[in-house]
Amino acid sequence: MSNADELLRIEGIRKTFPGVVALDGVDFDLRRGEVHVLLGENGAGKSTLIKMLSGAYTPDAGRILADGREVRIGGAQDSERLGIATIYQEFNLVPDLTVAENIFLGRQPRRFGMIDRKRMEADAEVLLARVGVDVSPRARVRELGIARLQMVEIAKALSLDARVLIMDEPTAVLTSEEVDRLFAIVRRLRAEGVGIVFITHHLEEIAALGDRVTVIRDGRSVGQVPASTPEDELVRLMVGRSIEQQYPRERPETGTALLKVEGLTRDGVFHDVSFEVRAGEVVGIAGLVGAGRTEVARAVFGADPYDAGSVRVGDVPLRRHDVNAAMAAGIGLVPEDRKGQGLVLDASVEENLGLVTLRSATRAGLVDLKRQREAAARIAGQLGVRMAGLGQHVRTLSGGNQQKVVIGKWLLADTRVLILDEPTRGIDVGAKVEIYQLVNELTAQGAAVLMISSDLPEVLGMSDRVLVMAQGRIAGELAAGDATQDAVMALAVSTPAGSTNHSNGTEAPGGH
Amino acid sequence: MATDTLKSRPGAAGGLRRLLLDNGALTALVVLVIAMSALSGDFLTADNLLNVGVQAAVTAILAFGVTFVIVSAGIDLSVGSVAALSATVLAWSATEAGVPVALAVVLAVATGVACGLVNGFLISYGKLPPFIATLAMLSVARGLSLVVSQGSPIAFPDSVSHLGDTLGGWLPVPVLVMVAMGLITALVLGRTYIGRSMYAIGGNEEAARLSGLRVKRHKLAIYALSGLFAAAAGIVLAARLSSAQPQAAQGYELDAIAAVVIGGASLAGGTGKASGTLIGALILAVLRNGLNLLSVSAFWQQVVIGVVIALAVLLDTVRRKAGATPAAAGTGQGGRGRQAVTYVVAAVVAVAVVGATSLLHGGDPAGKERKIGLSLSTLNNPFFVQIRAGAEQEAEKRGVDLTVTDAQNDASQQANQLQNFTSEGLGAIVVNPVDSDAAGPSVRSANKADIPVIAVDRGVGKADTAALVASDNVEGGRMGARALAEKLGGKGTIVILQGQAGTSASRERGAGFAEGLRAYPGIEVVAKQPADFDRTKGLDVMTNLLQAHPDIDGVFAENDEMALGAIKALGAKAGRSVQVVGFDGTPDGLKAVEAGTLYASVAQVPKELGRIAVDNALRAADGERVEELVKVPVKVVTKENVAGFGG
Repeated sequence: MSNADELLRIEGIRKTFPGVVALDGVDFDLRRGEVHVLLGENGAGKSTLIKMLSGAYTPDAGRILADGREVRIGGAQDSERLGIATIYQEFNLVPDLTVAENIFLGRQPRRFGMIDRKRMEADAEVLLARVGVDVSPRARVRELGIARLQMVEIAKALSLDARVLIMDEPTAVLTSEEVDRLFAIVRRLRAEGVGIVFITHHLEEIAALGDRVTVIRDGRSVGQVPASTPEDELVRLMVGRSIEQQYPRERPETGTALLKVEGLTRDGVFHDVSFEVRAGEVVGIAGLVGAGRTEVARAVFGADPYDAGSVRVGDVPLRRHDVNAAMAAGIGLVPEDRKGQGLVLDASVEENLGLVTLRSATRAGLVDLKRQREAAARIAGQLGVRMAGLGQHVRTLSGGNQQKVVIGKWLLADTRVLILDEPTRGIDVGAKVEIYQLVNELTAQGAAVLMISSDLPEVLGMSDRVLVMAQGRIAGELAAGDATQDAVMALAVSTPAGSTNHSNGTEAPGGH
Repeated sequence: MATDTLKSRPGAAGGLRRLLLDNGALTALVVLVIAMSALSGDFLTADNLLNVGVQAAVTAILAFGVTFVIVSAGIDLSVGSVAALSATVLAWSATEAGVPVALAVVLAVATGVACGLVNGFLISYGKLPPFIATLAMLSVARGLSLVVSQGSPIAFPDSVSHLGDTLGGWLPVPVLVMVAMGLITALVLGRTYIGRSMYAIGGNEEAARLSGLRVKRHKLAIYALSGLFAAAAGIVLAARLSSAQPQAAQGYELDAIAAVVIGGASLAGGTGKASGTLIGALILAVLRNGLNLLSVSAFWQQVVIGVVIALAVLLDTVRRKAGATPAAAGTGQGGRGRQAVTYVVAAVVAVAVVGATSLLHGGDPAGKERKIGLSLSTLNNPFFVQIRAGAEQEAEKRGVDLTVTDAQNDASQQANQLQNFTSEGLGAIVVNPVDSDAAGPSVRSANKADIPVIAVDRGVGKADTAALVASDNVEGGRMGARALAEKLGGKGTIVILQGQAGTSASRERGAGFAEGLRAYPGIEVVAKQPADFDRTKGLDVMTNLLQAHPDIDGVFAENDEMALGAIKALGAKAGRSVQVVGFDGTPDGLKAVEAGTLYASVAQVPKELGRIAVDNALRAADGERVEELVKVPVKVVTKENVAGFGG
């Protein structure tokens, strides 16, 4: 009955957790040599589904077939035996071991009980070449960038003779060049006959890479369509309604300059960075990963020191490396690493929302918990945070709702300048639009927003001006009307003039 | 995402789950109390429960302080030492420096806070890992308390000692202090800015910093609070013993950490509550108390305590896993199945406790009216093991039930054990005090209960003992001096290895030796160093001394264990170019005398000590008159007479 090319088939899978149905009647199949995209909002059940395949969960009902035979995947060993390898968003690598050791972790080739380093490194070399990544097997994983970590993960999967490769949002953290390189590898693996399950939130990647798409909504598979399906249709399937506008930016009148940064320099990291953000304005910062965007944002906020330059809010100069001075002046930072820097994951929604205002809500050492709770309830309602209650731990919220909590804590503190670093990374389409609406509301009330993003359509769609950084300098500034993907990328890969002489963003091409 | 779907769970179920989670440690405590009550009729009495409260107090107060640190993802290993230092500072400034008592208390608290601030400073600004910074403070504070007290316990001012008494004749003040500190802890953690910051810092330090919390300053305050609580614990501890002991509260930091973790806090930070910590401390106290009452062998007690700590935390982890992250369990069964798991674990704990204690239950309840207790300072030394052997032989011969406890050289643990003996209503108590003065208050309460107390080897200060059965240490010291000096021909250089600073045995032997040496002006003492009656330390100290004084002619060690350590350090020199004299006449010591490496040992007869002590205890229990001081003679054993001396 099943065709010979079929690697994997899932029929009517159901999985419940106490109180909820995570998956209910999901069908899915994977053929040899195809890229099958799994599409769905956060919380739709994609992760639960792949965890069934990797052996982390077992289904309550339904069947999993591998090569036409029904199988039971009870643990990681089972899935490894079936040739299923999974690359999660959070990599499972040991930072202080070498690349080769990581690839063969637990399976190092041995001779007389000792690890045969030579053979291990030679084998690793072959695998790395197959992935097409230029990394020494002897390099320590700690020293590698995120893209190369991913390549090492892929090499590790290949070393297991994986026939099924599951990739959970592999492009979320990559720059567009790195994405291109990843796609090349995925295409090569596909040509070699590997079946690839690909999870992404970037719709444009589907047409570029995918063969078929299975859309999951609320724990059910709602459709299987070819990858050539138009994006609007995919969005409609995914969210159950059509989203009129992906980037609903409303541009209010801009006022006076709220944030002024002049000549900001940290030796070896960023140089002579100057810009200003006016009231009611969204300024985007684009650039490649490693261009120094996050570093500048953290320095402006006082989280890290800088060597030269100044930061002013209104006309008040801020003390260097002083988060509290920045906060007192009305700056807020929504950091890039939401879980690592933005949230106390095992604390409640209420506690996280009240973090910034904790001090101001304190009288004689005692916190006014009642007022904190009321404020948290008000802001959570206003932002539409979907939760069981204010006492729910934020760890158990979806990415979009977590991000709303991070933004919410700054809204409570009457923030006038909000710095958003990758505000929608890993967040689904529906939640993204809600966050954009929030940005609109903020700027309508006269706040200034500085937004760093590696998602080019987002930068272009939501910014009023775009600054492009390259190699630690501002390579140029583009007005909203002039900013196109090509213009931004051209600047992002340029070598800014300032590398040799002093310059700042105002002399950029395509300026005012 | 599976975890995301939790949000749709009804709030009521979440509340119930939370309640169960918070009560994980409480369940373990209830199980323990039920088990102990079932096993011992003496457990569930008002008196004994108050005892448990008193015995939990010091650990609980220390643990409250440590809770702050652990909630903020740190660790504080220094609290035991800081407690001892604060108490010593109080006692020293009030008695020897003549400072008014109120000011002395302020000084003691300031000392604790200062130690905490140093910890906090090293961690916040010096970027030392908390483990290392507080490990350093553990050593520094202990050393300073020995420096301040010069190694001897200092009597505690009477007005402060009332902190160790009872109110209205029944309500112990330490329990009140514990409850008060617990309430303060709950208030700080739950309601104050610094308390809420602890959770944020422990949960995610970077997020807290980027939200404007002044993390470094908070850490200073957190460790200072821990120091403050340690000072309070130290004062309560010393008040109970009426004496500030420089060696007090050793290893208490681990008890405190255990109490916090048993109470449901995570060493990873971000969780923990005052109520949990209190329950954790009570679990430890109930165990120690119950095991005493059940006459479980001193050695097995430690095993049982370790097992229960592991099981209590395991129980909590299982509950947590079952309740908080259903996804991680990876199985399809519902909440009921997981609750079953919890109950199974609880049952296993109960069975383990009941089984272990009844198995190890040494005594035979038949001779209940003829039941006596022996509290030894330590069993980590053959001398005391011999005392126990003599006592046990005598008890068996006379058909009485003898309970032996091991205070592990900790005066306050001994106080607990004596208190347990008293509340059990034993016929008589034999005590070998860790410290003479510190044993006073607990012996006084035995006096009040009309239980005769026999002291063995060391006397008890400021309390009535029916008899003191002891070797004549001063005379022994003199004899040791004579033996060594004669052997050296009246001239030469020697070193002295001293026993544990502050013990009467060390003081008396040292004094006797110095006295005896006056008759031999040709002998020069070039060094005097403590090696704590311990063989390993004797080896280390001797090795060090040999670097400075390679040409010595003799060694006097205040006990055989240290002498044996010294002999190891001396190697081939021992018995040839260097003569070693020990004290005690332990079996190992006598063997060395036979072998010629140890020139002489001033032999006590520890078995005799134990035997005579039990004999006197039984006579006192029967209302017979006993001698107030029973001197068991000592004898210098050398190669010539060792054959006739089969310890």
